[in-house]
Amino acid sequence: MFRLQGSKVLAVDMTGDAVKAKNGSMVAYDGQMAFKKMTGGGEGIRGMVTRRLTGEQMTVMEVRGQGTCWFADRASEINLVSLQGDKLYVESSNLLATDAGLRTGTTFTGLRGASQGNGLFTTTVEGHGQAAIMSDGPAVVLRVSRQYPLTVDPGAYIAHQGNLNQSFQSGVTFRTLFGEGGGEAFQIRFEGDGLVYVQPSERNTIAGDV
Amino acid sequence: MAFTEINSKMIQATVMPGQRLYSQRGAMLAYKGEVSFTPNIQGGQGGVMSMLGRRVANEATPLMSVEGSGTVMFGHGGHHIQIIELTGDTLYVEADRLLAFEGTLQQGTMFMGSQGGVMGMVRGQVTGQGLFTTTLQGRGAVAVMAHGGVFEIPITPGRPVHVDPQAYVAHHGDVRNKLSAALGWRDMVGRGSGEAFQLELSGSGAVFVQASEEKL
Repeated sequence: MFRLQGSKVLAVDMTGDAVKAKNGSMVAYDGQMAFKKMTGGGEGIRGMVTRRLTGEQMTVMEVRGQGTCWFADRASEINLVSLQGDKLYVESSNLLATDAGLRTGTTFTGLRGASQGNGLFTTTVEGHGQAAIMSDGPAVVLRVSRQYPLTVDPGAYIAHQGNLNQSFQSGVTFRTLFGEGGGEAFQIRFEGDGLVYVQPSERNTIAGDV
Repeated sequence: MAFTEINSKMIQATVMPGQRLYSQRGAMLAYKGEVSFTPNIQGGQGGVMSMLGRRVANEATPLMSVEGSGTVMFGHGGHHIQIIELTGDTLYVEADRLLAFEGTLQQGTMFMGSQGGVMGMVRGQVTGQGLFTTTLQGRGAVAVMAHGGVFEIPITPGRPVHVDPQAYVAHHGDVRNKLSAALGWRDMVGRGSGEAFQLELSGSGAVFVQASEEKL
C-alpha cells in the first residue's frame, strides 16, 4: 500500500509482501525489512542485457518485510500512479518504486527520446498495482482525449500512461539557424486517450538550446 | 513559542527583553524592532571550559546571541527548517544543522563513545557525525535545518525504527541508537542494495528524517 507522507516522502505499508525500489532510496523503516539488490532490474538475463544495451540501466532493490518503509530521493517530489492493466512509460531515472507485481521493460522511443536528453529508450511499467514516479517540482497530470491533443516540452515531460500516440514536432525555422530561436524548437505531441505527467522544470535538452 | 514558520524555509522569532536566542552566525534575514546581534566567541553557553570542549570536539559552529525586543527572520542556504519543541527532554543534533535555539535550553556536547563504546565511535564516523554531537536539553524551541522536508517517526518500546544514516537529522527522548550492519556477500562484490548500514533507534522518543540522502 503506497501513500505519500508530505510530498517528498513515500511511505509503504507492507505485510510480508514486496516492493521494487530504486537502489539506496530507503530513508527509514520500522518493523522487519530485508533489502536485496535485483540484478538487471529483476527482468532476467534478457532484460538485463537489453537494459545494458539501451542505456536504461536502473539499479533496483527488492524490499520485503513487515512494517512501514519510507523512501525518498534527493528531495524530489513524488507522484503516485495506479495502474489497472495499462502501461506507464517513464524514464528509468524518474522511477522510484513499483509494486512487486508490476512488470518492467524497455521500449524504443525514437527521435522523441533523443530530444528529451534521455536517450533513445524508455522504461515501461505494466500490470495491476501502484508505482511512484519522481519529478523536479510538483508535477501536473494533463488529460489527453481524442478532441484535445497535447503538446509538451521534451525537457518537462516525465511520464505518460494510457493509449497515446506520440509524434515529434519541430519548429525549426531560419531564425533558429541564426540563433534567434524561441528556445522551443522541439515538442512532443500526444494524441489519443491517456494521461501525461509534466514537471515544472526543464532538463537540459538539445531543444532548449536552439 | 518563540519560533513561528513563515514558510518551509524561513522562520520568525520573537525576541523580548531578558530572553536570549542563539542562532547560527549570518543566518539573520531581516528584523523589526530593536535587536542586537553579538557574535558569541564561546560558541554558545557555558564558560570558557565549554568553549574549549566544543573546540576540541569540533562541534563549534559560529553562533551569535540575539537580544532586544522585536522579531527576527532566520533562514540559511535555502534549506528546509523544522521547528522542534522540547519539553524537558534532550535533543541530539549535529551542530552544523542548528539554525537557532532558545536561550532557555542547556547546550552540551556528547561523546559518541559514551553510547556503545567503540561501536558508538564507528557509528559517528559512518553517519558523518564525527566523534561528538551536540545536545540541547530543557524547555524551549529549536530550529533545525535539513535538505528536503523533514518528517517525524515516533519510536515506541518494542518497535525500533531503522534509519538511513545519511537521511538522519536528529532525535529526542530516551532513545538508544546503534549501528546495524546488514553486510552480505553481495556488498563485498559491489552488488549491494545500497542499504548496508542502518541506524537502529530503540526506546521511546522520536527521530527526524529528511527526504534526501544529501548532507547539508
